[in-house]
Amino acid sequence: MNVIRQWIGSFPEVQRNAVIQAVESASLAKIRRALRSLHELAPEQRGPVLAVEILSTFNLEPIFPVLELALNCLPSRAQVRLAPLDDIEGYISQSASARSQGLPHARIVVWRVEELLPEALYPFSNGFPEQLAARVDKVLARVEGVVNLHERNAHGVPLFLSTIPLPVNFGNPVSAAQHCRGLFGSISRVNQKIYEIATARDGIYVLDVASWAAFEGRAHEDALVDFLARQPLSAKGQLGFALFIARCLRPLITPRRKVLALDLDNTLWGGVVGEDGVAGLTLGHEFPGNVHLRLQRELIELRNRGVLLVLLSKNNEADARQGFDSLPDMLLKWDDFAIRKVDWNHKHENLREAARELSLGVDTFAFIDDSDYEREQMRQFIPEVLILNESPDPLHTLRSLWDTDAFDSLAVTEEDRRRHRDYTIRAARDVGAHQDDLETFLKSLEMDVTIEEIGPSNMERVVTMLGKTNQFNLTTRRHSRVQLQSILESPGSIALALRLRDKFGDQGIVAVLLAILSGDNGTLIVDSFLVSCRALGRGVEDALWAAMVDRARQQNARRLEAAYISTAKNGLVTDLYDRLGLRRMQQDGESTRYLLEPIVPVKFPSWISLKGQSYGS
Amino acid sequence: MGPEDRLLPLLLEFFELPADTPPENIRQQLLPAWDSLATVQLITDLERAFSVSFDIEEIVRLRSYQEIRDALSRQGVPFDNSPD
Repeated sequence: MNVIRQWIGSFPEVQRNAVIQAVESASLAKIRRALRSLHELAPEQRGPVLAVEILSTFNLEPIFPVLELALNCLPSRAQVRLAPLDDIEGYISQSASARSQGLPHARIVVWRVEELLPEALYPFSNGFPEQLAARVDKVLARVEGVVNLHERNAHGVPLFLSTIPLPVNFGNPVSAAQHCRGLFGSISRVNQKIYEIATARDGIYVLDVASWAAFEGRAHEDALVDFLARQPLSAKGQLGFALFIARCLRPLITPRRKVLALDLDNTLWGGVVGEDGVAGLTLGHEFPGNVHLRLQRELIELRNRGVLLVLLSKNNEADARQGFDSLPDMLLKWDDFAIRKVDWNHKHENLREAARELSLGVDTFAFIDDSDYEREQMRQFIPEVLILNESPDPLHTLRSLWDTDAFDSLAVTEEDRRRHRDYTIRAARDVGAHQDDLETFLKSLEMDVTIEEIGPSNMERVVTMLGKTNQFNLTTRRHSRVQLQSILESPGSIALALRLRDKFGDQGIVAVLLAILSGDNGTLIVDSFLVSCRALGRGVEDALWAAMVDRARQQNARRLEAAYISTAKNGLVTDLYDRLGLRRMQQDGESTRYLLEPIVPVKFPSWISLKGQSYGS
Repeated sequence: MGPEDRLLPLLLEFFELPADTPPENIRQQLLPAWDSLATVQLITDLERAFSVSFDIEEIVRLRSYQEIRDALSRQGVPFDNSPD
């Protein structure tokens, strides 16, 4: 419930109330009413279009409005399409052009043991163990076949494969667990296969219905409606199931929070270091210090998968440091925080300052503080910050970290895993930049870059960047994988990613440029041009631009058009195309169009070396 | 609000009927929207709203306001002249 309240926070009050009533009552009539009320909103209030196809071995038609409501609350303008019952391969085999609608933004396959592997429910009637094991092998091959078929017919569309929940209605659960080829072992083999496929293949994800059902318990299921309509979910289960699907799809359209700003006293440890001294603090393996210790473990894990930590504490810095240095069970280190603001300033001011230093928007921050006052002040001064906890109780705070979807992501990339280190290095660099002449400083970074064609190996990162980059982003076009794929396939298009390495290490892909060949006169149109905020101010944009111009000349393009579309966040690049020597053609509202004709070569930045190739003069 | 007060509005809202629809007109023969899909959805809503579960014999008979009311009464949901 808390999660959905956060999702719909931007809806007007009427719609919010309608949704909350619908969710609390789980009544279909109220769900339909809430949906109608959402449809009355203007498109921009409803979020992006999200076309989702659901293919299932059981009947989801009775819960269609529930699925629609959950997905609309993301928020999104969800368009849900249900494939005909239990016709997974048949439906996927239809080519996109044969269907009235185009490809979806996501496809979901939901199956359960009752249809996929019914023999496992009656093992002794179905040749247990050998014949049953052979039957399981066939199911494994079927799962693989479905994925192959999907990749052939809907390449680039994210596919979510459900795992198989343990059935609720069957006899003899004790016996079912005693043999690896029994009911539970067989289901487990199928699920293992699904995890393996998702691990090995790009764009295939797991919808872990098995774990969802385990969390929900027996109450999610209703044998009566299953017999009646081959729809196994109870009223409570329907809603939970739909919200679970929505949460799994959410990372496709909503970037996760990048930073967690948190308080120190009574959060990372029990007690107030400035008052109680280090000896008076509670942290360790005994209750209640173990709650704080567990919280620290969660924070370290978040840090290691790419969420930056910022410490906001009203304390004397020396006191705070003493806690970090002297508490024997302290797991978090002072340097685990990308930024520390330990002083007596307002926390909202310190948070804004931290956002500036990290070159991130305040809307990428989440916040934890045990003080009701601090949370309220943050809520009032910076409403964009997501406040995770609602009470001073440390166990409640820990639960809010377990429950939140703020940091959900479908893939943790190498860039994510390195993020903390990268930002720490960048902070050190910023200090350096003030001290030296800029070009000398940039040279000292020993930067070299590789220009890569965008393709399967770097697609995940490019789509993530298109979805997240705000500041150095000329057009802010949030292309999905599907849209990106169609740009890549369009003849004459140039789609480049820049990988940066410097003396601190491999920084990964930090810049992307997409240009599409227009039908007439060899005109290339720059669709997207963006640089990660981790690589700002280092001239990588000049390097990527030079590489693109070189390609354009090689393929005899005659002219190049580009546009700057102004947003609340991309003021940084207002004059970029002027600086790159393009001519302003016209300004139309938020959009300024530019032209380069003829396409003259561009000088590659002298402080960056290009691996393996040379561009420009 | 007693069950009598809740059943009628629930059905009116479920089938999107005008507020002045007489209860005797809420029957499957008269409502095209009351198909087998609606029956399944309605059963889930009723079970949830009244905290009951129907048995199979009852479900095949749930075809009108009156039959639903009778089924709920048999489940111990008090109606009409009951004091709540």
